[in-house]
Amino acid sequence: MHQQLTSLSDKELISRTRKLKDREAEGVLMDRYSHLLVAITLPQLHKNPSLDPNVVFPGLLQRLSASLRTQSIYKANEWMLHIQRGYMAKQEKILPFYPSREVRDFLHIENIVEKASTNTIDRQELIVRLEQALQRLPEEDREILQEFYIEQKTFADLTASRGWNRDKVRHQLKAAKNKLAKLYINQSHVK
Amino acid sequence: MLNNSSHNDKVIKIFSGIRCLSKDQLPRYLEGRLTDVEKHLVEQHLADCDLCFEAIQALEKESNTDQYNDLTGKLQRYIQQSILPVSHVQKVAQYTRKERTKENLLVYFWLIAFGVLGVSGVYVLKGHMRNAPTMPRLMVSSVAPVPETKDTTTTAATQVDNGEKPVAAQPIIAANHATPAHQSAPAPAPNPAPATPIPTANTTAIPPTKPAPAPVKVDSVKLKQLALERAAKKKARADSLAKVQAATAEAKKQDSLKKAAAAAEKEEQDREAAEKQANAAKAQAAPPSDPVKKEEPKKDAPALTNSDENLYKAAMQLQQQGSINEAMDRYRRIEANGNGKYVEMARYQLAICYRSKGQMGKARRMFKEVVKMDGSLKTAAQQALDTM
Repeated sequence: MHQQLTSLSDKELISRTRKLKDREAEGVLMDRYSHLLVAITLPQLHKNPSLDPNVVFPGLLQRLSASLRTQSIYKANEWMLHIQRGYMAKQEKILPFYPSREVRDFLHIENIVEKASTNTIDRQELIVRLEQALQRLPEEDREILQEFYIEQKTFADLTASRGWNRDKVRHQLKAAKNKLAKLYINQSHVK
Repeated sequence: MLNNSSHNDKVIKIFSGIRCLSKDQLPRYLEGRLTDVEKHLVEQHLADCDLCFEAIQALEKESNTDQYNDLTGKLQRYIQQSILPVSHVQKVAQYTRKERTKENLLVYFWLIAFGVLGVSGVYVLKGHMRNAPTMPRLMVSSVAPVPETKDTTTTAATQVDNGEKPVAAQPIIAANHATPAHQSAPAPAPNPAPATPIPTANTTAIPPTKPAPAPVKVDSVKLKQLALERAAKKKARADSLAKVQAATAEAKKQDSLKKAAAAAEKEEQDREAAEKQANAAKAQAAPPSDPVKKEEPKKDAPALTNSDENLYKAAMQLQQQGSINEAMDRYRRIEANGNGKYVEMARYQLAICYRSKGQMGKARRMFKEVVKMDGSLKTAAQQALDTM
C-alpha cells in the first residue's frame, strides 16, 4: 500500500487524505517534503538556538496536517512553504494560502499543458499560441527564456554571460514567465 | 522544419510542471553530481519553486550537511512512527467496527428469521388444526348424544314390558338421568360404563319400574310434556317392524359403543353374553308388542331427526375408526327408519362403505338410489358413479 502511494502525485495524495481520511497518504505526502522542510527550517534553527527540533518539527507537521484538511491546495510546495513561514513567524492562526492572480494564470497554463501532453492536436495549437505569445514578449525576456528553456543553458551559464547572480537570473526568469503567461491568457481571451 | 518543430516542442517546457527535488537529488545537485539533462530539469523546477530554491540556498550556506541529514532522518522516522501506525490502528478500528456491524446485522437477521419461523409455524399449526379436527369433534358429539339413543332403546324395552305410556315416559327420563352420568365419561372410566349399561340391557326383560320412582322426582315437567308432544305429532309414521329393527339395532349399537369405550375385553365378552340374552328377550318380546309399538314411533319421531343425526355421527365415527360393518349397520338403520336428508346421506355413506369393501355392484346401486333421490348429494353420487 505504502509503495503504491509513493507513486501517486501530490494532488492525488491530498484528495485521498481528504476524501478517504487516509492517514497513510498524508504520511507519504509529508515524507515526500520532509527533507525540504528540514532544509528551509535549518537557518532558523541556527539563528534561534532556543528552538528545539524535537518540538518544532512535530508542531509543524501538526499544523500542516490541520491545514491539509481545510485548505484548498493548488501546489503542495507553495502551500508547505507558506505554512512553514507562518509557523516560524509564530503566527497563532493558520493564514490560508491564496494564490495570487499571476500564480493562478500560471497554474491554468500548467494545467492546459498537462492536458495537451496526450493530445497532439491540442498540443500543436498550444505550441503555436505559445510561440505567438513569446514573439510579443520584450526582447530581454524572450532571450532569457529561449536561452534557458530552448538552448538548455544552466544557471551558471546565464550568470556568467550576463554578470548577474543566480538570484537575479531566477527572478528574471520568473518575471518573464509571468509575463508570458499573462500574454497567453489575454490571447485566449481575445480569441 | 525538423529543427523548427523540435524548437517548438521545447516552448512547452516553459510551462510544464516538474516535481520538487527528491531527497536523493538535493545533495547531488549541491555537489554537482547530476547529469546535464537532470540538472536542466532541476533548474527548470528551481526557477518556479520557491521551496526548493530556498532549501538549496539554505543548504549551500551550511558547512556540513550532518545536521540536515540527521534531522531529515529523524523527521522521516517520526512521520512513519506517528502517522503510519495511526493509520494501521485506524484500519484495525475500522475493521472491528465493520465486523461488529456485520455481527449485529446477523443477530437481527436471525431474530427476524426466528420470528418469521415462529409465526409461520403457528399459522401452519392453526391451519392444520382447522383442517384436521373432524375426528375430535365427532367424538365429542358422538359421546353426548348416545344417551338419547339409549333412551329410545330403554323406552322401547320398557314399553314392551309395560305397554303404558305414562309409565314408559318416566323411565325414558330415568334412563336419561342415569345414563349421562356414566355415558358422558366413558373413556376415562370404562368400568362404570359397562356396569350400568348391562343392567339397562338386562332390564329389558325385567320390569323397569324400579328406576322410575327415583327419576320422577328429578324429572322436570317440561321433559314429560315434550315427550308427549313428540308422541302426538308422529303417531302414524313408524311401523312396528321398524321398531323391532330399531330396538335390536340400538342394542347392537350399544354393544359397539361399549366396545369402543371399554378397553377390557373380558367385560365386553360379559356384556355381549348379557346382551345376547337381552336381544333374545327382545326378539321374543317384540312380536307381541306390535300394536303397542305402532304408537311408539310417534313418540320417538320427534327425536327421530335428532337420533338419526346421532346415529349418523356415530356411524361416521365408526367408519373413520375402520369398523365399516358396524357403521354400515347404523347406516342401514337410518335408511330404514330415518327421514329424507339422513336417509340420503346414509345411503351415500353405505355406497361408500360398499365401495371400500369392494362390493361395486351394491355400491353402484346405492349411488344410483342416491341420484334418484335427487337430493343435495346427487352430484356427489353422480360423480362417484362416473368415477367407479
